[in-house]
Amino acid sequence: MSIGILSIIIFLPMVVALVLMVAPLSSRITRNAAFGVSLTIFALALYIYTHFELTGTIQFKEFYPWIKSYGISYSLGIDGFSLIILMLIATLIPSAYLLLWNNARSKSYWISMLFIQSGISGTLFSLDLFLFYFFWEAMLLPVFMIIGLFGSGNRVFSTLKITIYTIMGSLFMFVSILYLGVAHYYEFGVWSFALSDLVNISTIAREQKIFLFFGFMLAFAIKIPLFPFHSWLLQTYSNSPTGGVFLLSSIMAKLGVYALVRFMMPLFPDLFVEFSIYFVALGIFGLVYFGIAAICQMNIKKMFAYSSASHLGFITAGVFALNVQGMMGSAFLIVAHAIATGGLFLLVGVMERHLGIRSLAGLGGIAIKAPWFTLFFAIMLFCTVGIPGTNGFVAELLIVLGIFHYNPYLGVLSALTVLVAASYMFWVFQKAVLVKSDNDVSNMKDLTFYEILGLLPLATLIIAMGVYPDLFLYKIEPTLQHYLIDILHVGVK
Amino acid sequence: MLWTHLSYLLPLIIVVSGAVLLMLLSPVERFSMERFSLFTFVILLLALGADLYYFGILFTAFPMEELFSKMLIVDSYSVYFDALILCGALVTSLIGTHYFQIKRHFKKEFFSLFLFSVFGMMLLVHANELLTAFIALEIASLSLYVMIGFQKIHDKRVEASYQYLVLGSISGAFFLLGSALIYAGLGTTILGDLGKALDGLMGKDVSLIIIGATFILVTFLFKISAFPFQNWTIDVYDGSPLPVTAFMAATFKVAIFGFVLRLMLIDLDPIRDIWDTLFVVVILATLLYGTFLAIIQESLKRMLAASSIVHTGYLLIAFVSIGYAGESASSSIIFYLIAYFLSAMGAFGLISYIAADEHVRVTYEDFRGFAHVHPYMAAMLSVFMLSLAGIPSTIGFVGKFYIFTGAIEAGYTFLAVCGIIATFISIYYYFKLIALMYFYPACEKEGAMIPTLSGITPITIGVIAVAVIWGGIGNTFIAYFPGVDFLIDTARLSYMSLFIK
Repeated sequence: MSIGILSIIIFLPMVVALVLMVAPLSSRITRNAAFGVSLTIFALALYIYTHFELTGTIQFKEFYPWIKSYGISYSLGIDGFSLIILMLIATLIPSAYLLLWNNARSKSYWISMLFIQSGISGTLFSLDLFLFYFFWEAMLLPVFMIIGLFGSGNRVFSTLKITIYTIMGSLFMFVSILYLGVAHYYEFGVWSFALSDLVNISTIAREQKIFLFFGFMLAFAIKIPLFPFHSWLLQTYSNSPTGGVFLLSSIMAKLGVYALVRFMMPLFPDLFVEFSIYFVALGIFGLVYFGIAAICQMNIKKMFAYSSASHLGFITAGVFALNVQGMMGSAFLIVAHAIATGGLFLLVGVMERHLGIRSLAGLGGIAIKAPWFTLFFAIMLFCTVGIPGTNGFVAELLIVLGIFHYNPYLGVLSALTVLVAASYMFWVFQKAVLVKSDNDVSNMKDLTFYEILGLLPLATLIIAMGVYPDLFLYKIEPTLQHYLIDILHVGVK
Repeated sequence: MLWTHLSYLLPLIIVVSGAVLLMLLSPVERFSMERFSLFTFVILLLALGADLYYFGILFTAFPMEELFSKMLIVDSYSVYFDALILCGALVTSLIGTHYFQIKRHFKKEFFSLFLFSVFGMMLLVHANELLTAFIALEIASLSLYVMIGFQKIHDKRVEASYQYLVLGSISGAFFLLGSALIYAGLGTTILGDLGKALDGLMGKDVSLIIIGATFILVTFLFKISAFPFQNWTIDVYDGSPLPVTAFMAATFKVAIFGFVLRLMLIDLDPIRDIWDTLFVVVILATLLYGTFLAIIQESLKRMLAASSIVHTGYLLIAFVSIGYAGESASSSIIFYLIAYFLSAMGAFGLISYIAADEHVRVTYEDFRGFAHVHPYMAAMLSVFMLSLAGIPSTIGFVGKFYIFTGAIEAGYTFLAVCGIIATFISIYYYFKLIALMYFYPACEKEGAMIPTLSGITPITIGVIAVAVIWGGIGNTFIAYFPGVDFLIDTARLSYMSLFIK
């Protein structure tokens, strides 16, 4: 059987990781191999990007039967929405490697990163719900390892906490998936777990459907995290190693939003529309709540953790706004936020390496010691806040517009609350980086060549996408139109 | 004709004559323990070979009907279960090799008893009559009682053996009483005829039969350690030598389910729904209590024993679904038995290998930093823990998938959700071990002499670990190699053979 390009993207890191696991190689060679893999995947992703047709359909399909007696198949494919996340992964991960270049000294660090990459890609491409669940949960194991092995503070407790917390959510999704499969079997007489088959089910009563809807929602809400399901967030982010928190915040959290659109929209279109108001409200509430929580933190990592959750609330609100501006804004903010937050966490990682873990009160005057660091920190920060000229601005503008269309009152509210981020981000920038203080920061060194090389593409993307957003929007627009018009029946051509 | 009939019974004959032969040879000084171990292995292998001759063929037969009447049955179903039991015995003897070499107090009679218990279990799945089943059950149990208490010097062993003997005998008495009541009500003890007689009684008072069958179910619930008959499990499992624990936890359960499925599916089918509510309560209590017990254990072996109660709960979910989901639920039981069998066998086997010399690694804490000292063993142990927890890419996950799908198909979504909750709590006690092994610096225990990775035992355990992963990933990647589909298809075939009239 021939192996498709998507399969290569999924399994290349895994296979390399397995080989590296048993091969007695030094951590340097392991790192170089991992970096090579990420570059290869970047090339493959570029190939897909250039060959992707501008329609709302699913492309690059692969299909092999897996467990035939239950109609489970190994089926992959991508649409416009998955494409941008694929590009995101492909660009961000090599950058992350460059920034961690001299950071992690252990082999298993790189091996875990490779496994996580495999899991993420698998989740992203799956068209079969069983396969999706398979990757969704398998992705957790390397995360468990990377936090437990390389984290700081009470790492064992936090890694058990995030594992149990997320598995709880996914297990309820698992029951919902099984229920859908059984319903399909009863209605059509054949087993199937393929998304394209499960959307045809018409026999499930409304009450059950609501349960199923929230079964899925719970899994995604924990991963994102949406407001009351965030209690794992703070500890996990602050105790994770830089690579772990980077992957969690900038990619895995986005997968929650992605799955929301990709699976819940087609499966429960009516409920999606019906409940949208609550989730828009919840998203905006999360934006404010996590924003205020971020202001209260004295530890930069914790502050960025809350800031990240705050933005994800906003992204979710955009998705549930049910119009092209809102969804496009969300897709755009997913990219913008992934780049900016990922970059910020990586930069904080650099700072921690030089200065150790410090609260805000112990920092200050870094700008003189490290001008490059300051430059990139500023770009990432501006993007997070949404300064015009960065892609964060475009994204937030689109979402606010989308919410305005959806409901003017919520629109006003969201427009006002976007400013929350500005209040604490600038303060951090001023306090930690710019203003001179009595604290000893003489150990702080500027970015190395590798680190600059890693951050340069990210900074370029932030500006390029901010100045000329159409360059990126046109790839995704047909897909979003397809979601809104053909699936939710809410949009107009 | 005679030869065909003999060939049907050949696996049984090989095992029982091997057992007798070993017993006769045990006083001979010339043969060492190693020889006996090897001999046991060869006998089991021969029996498996004879059994596989009929594997995958749909048939049913009563061998030597004029001699045995209809007491024994050979069909695809019994062939399938024989294969499982023999594989279990083979794996036990392989992973036990190291243990038996180290622990010098094992005498040669042990192997004879071992084969007798295997014979009893095989006879149980061939039994087509209640009393035959009872005899088979007792052959298997009595051998196990002795095997548990073999190490006389150890108080814990004697206590476990005695406890199991007393409680097991009481539950056996329930079986006898139940059979008597059923005989009183229906006038026969032969499976198949029972069902026909019961059909004839439809609409009349069948309370005697219900009471009798409930008594038989009590024995069943006792042997698989379901609530409220689970109290012996932890002490007995903990008190037994580890290979015996593995054998009991995995293989004996297979045999018990083998018989009870036959009884429930064919004969008690007309009145089966009477027990539905009872079973739902039993399942909930088993899951709840087993989970609670598993959380509070300090010792790894006791945790595995307690978690086996939880796994019984999952199996019972599939068991109660059979009435409504039929084929898929019963093949899911068989599949889950295989999945649990592999994971538990691997876990118990590996722990017995680690703890063979002294009791130095017993509790969770003893495994702190284990991965930094013995990376491969820690990796294998993690694989088994992940499989027991039902994490994707292991066979345990696929097993849980079948069980919960069957439950939802049968309309027991509620039970599936309860099973899911138990699964999710189980993450805690399985992942705790992985976290302890990997996330702490190594601490060498005083006097800990962990054997290096060489010999038959670690190879066997390694093969099981690969099988656990293979079963979870399945045959997508290499075509024509038996994987998940193969197991399910053959399980279905064996299920179908039950209904050949």
